[in-house]
Amino acid sequence: MSTDTGTQTDSGAGRQRSILTPATNWIENLSESAYAYLLLTPAFALLTLVAFWPLVATFRLSLLADQTKGAAALGGFVGLENYLNVLTGDIRLARQFFDMELVGGFPFIQLGTPFFQQALFVTLAFALLNVLFTTLIGFGQALILDQDFRGRRWVRVAIIIPWAVPIVIQGMIFFLFFQPTVGFGSGVMQSLGLFSANPLASSQDSFFIVLIADIWKTSAFMALLILAGLQSVDRSLYDVARVSGASPWQRFKMITLPLVLPALLVAMLFRTMEAMRIYGLIESTAGCTTVPSMTCLVIEGLFGGTRIYGTAAAVAFITAAIIGLLISVYIVKFRDNEGGLY
Amino acid sequence: MAAETETQTQTTETRQEEPELDRGPLERWVSDSIDNPERTYRALFYTAMIVMLVTTLFPFYWLLMVALTPEGQIQDIILTPNGFNPGAFIEVFQVLPFHRFMFNSFVIATVATVFVLVIASLAGYVFGRLQFPGKAPLMLLVLIVSFFPPAAFFIPLNDLFNSRIPIIAPLLSNGTLYNTPPALIIPLSALFMPLAIFILTTFYSQIPDGLEDAARVEGTTRLGALFRVIIPLSAPGVATAGVLTFIGVYNEFFFSFLMTDGQPQNWAPILEGLLGYQTQYQTMYNLMAAASILGVLPVAILVVIAQEKIVSGLTAGALKE
Repeated sequence: MSTDTGTQTDSGAGRQRSILTPATNWIENLSESAYAYLLLTPAFALLTLVAFWPLVATFRLSLLADQTKGAAALGGFVGLENYLNVLTGDIRLARQFFDMELVGGFPFIQLGTPFFQQALFVTLAFALLNVLFTTLIGFGQALILDQDFRGRRWVRVAIIIPWAVPIVIQGMIFFLFFQPTVGFGSGVMQSLGLFSANPLASSQDSFFIVLIADIWKTSAFMALLILAGLQSVDRSLYDVARVSGASPWQRFKMITLPLVLPALLVAMLFRTMEAMRIYGLIESTAGCTTVPSMTCLVIEGLFGGTRIYGTAAAVAFITAAIIGLLISVYIVKFRDNEGGLY
Repeated sequence: MAAETETQTQTTETRQEEPELDRGPLERWVSDSIDNPERTYRALFYTAMIVMLVTTLFPFYWLLMVALTPEGQIQDIILTPNGFNPGAFIEVFQVLPFHRFMFNSFVIATVATVFVLVIASLAGYVFGRLQFPGKAPLMLLVLIVSFFPPAAFFIPLNDLFNSRIPIIAPLLSNGTLYNTPPALIIPLSALFMPLAIFILTTFYSQIPDGLEDAARVEGTTRLGALFRVIIPLSAPGVATAGVLTFIGVYNEFFFSFLMTDGQPQNWAPILEGLLGYQTQYQTMYNLMAAASILGVLPVAILVVIAQEKIVSGLTAGALKE
């Protein structure tokens, strides 16, 4: 509708003008602030519908009891009981399908550990390792792309393509790769003594498969952000360093790293937040019961054998709170340097 | 790299003065590398590049090999297919209406992209060019949304899309949005709009004020100046935001998986098609691989065509703050 008001100034559209003139005049006479708010209305209407209202509604749901009997999936108001149950691992209702037996087991998790601790561990460990490796690999890729060589354009395309692969296909590739009958991945890993015979049925092995799959896809994102940092470095600094006899390693340590660091930290934080939401890749490779991430728990709670909306909502809200905490750290940390977010 | 050749000539001179020693190949290589470090770095660079290319591209090559292997012979495929059956690429469409899934994905991604571009253009203009109270907090609100887990939004949305909405009841058969394109387009637009807003904010703020002022003096309306001056001048930015939104929506998993029942006639996107080759009774690995290749092709082509835009968009979107 805004487009119409914009095009109505066409000299030919006389009839249209008469209809839209009042609206145009009204817009023209708005103060700059009011005009700004008007233009922001569609964006915030969409965000209210899809994000702000659902977040509040999720919180409300999380305060209601789980109900398995009867048609309604929701019981009465129980306050923060769902949160307490989730955090302390005391879930009577959820036990039947949530307290999943981890096949193969994680090195630091004992069988029978309450589901939320499992999920929290899986999610945090995944995010941490993912960020560590994507940063290292992404840095390597960025340093390569920063050089001048023939075919650089195509090397860059090769690096970006995994980033653009749909999550389900990324999952499919690694699912096939580690299928004992199809791929040679599981055979190779087994002969190295790293994985069991059917890695996609083991929690520990699947965790690493999911990790590898995600590093394969997302290191390109890191690489591009780091590359942007690298290319904004003043090249004359390198010439000065070379003249003073600095080795390439010294040049990297004293010039490149400090100058790229701000961009790198932002990229790492963004990757952490994204890695904490992991779901689709798990669902399409090993399945949510093998590698239970926090989002997996929410979906299992909603669509699993027993529908436990209240508990699922509490888990969803805890995940959101952890990510919210990360965002606040980011704001506090970066607001002062570089003028922050406007 | 020009300065490197300088050091190289310098080191060759010093080496000539060295007496000839009886050296093995390894020792010779080591001493060469010490004498001539830049050449060693170059060799290391090419090795690293080749390793990197192999690791990023091998999965696609391997997928092709699986797709080409006839069903029943699929085991331990490494570098060559066991047999040759390009028919899998046709069978993909016969076993499931894969073209319908692809079509659904295209429609959803295209409509969402247009929707996002229109809304994000307005917001990007506001954040990039106007001054008003509350600008920073509102921008922050947009950023926060893009990083919250979709699971935190999902439960109420799922309820909403599954309940009968009286206003749309005359338009849709049963009055619910579940199993219709809006059930995907609405949440996915919201999910990718923040990135588009960031990109467009960057591009719009770079247009000199004089151009907009001139248009206003010439008699255009406020919105006229936006749609006739600012947006056309930032066409590359709009294209960047469009490409990234399209790729984002096409690749998304969470809402795409949960907002339809997976039937092609119910607007299930491509991911349901891919998962469909694995049924309770049978898993058609070669078809899964063939369908995956077909599913990657559109985005791969987009990456080849629009790589500059993707690079600039990702960096602008993430590092603008």
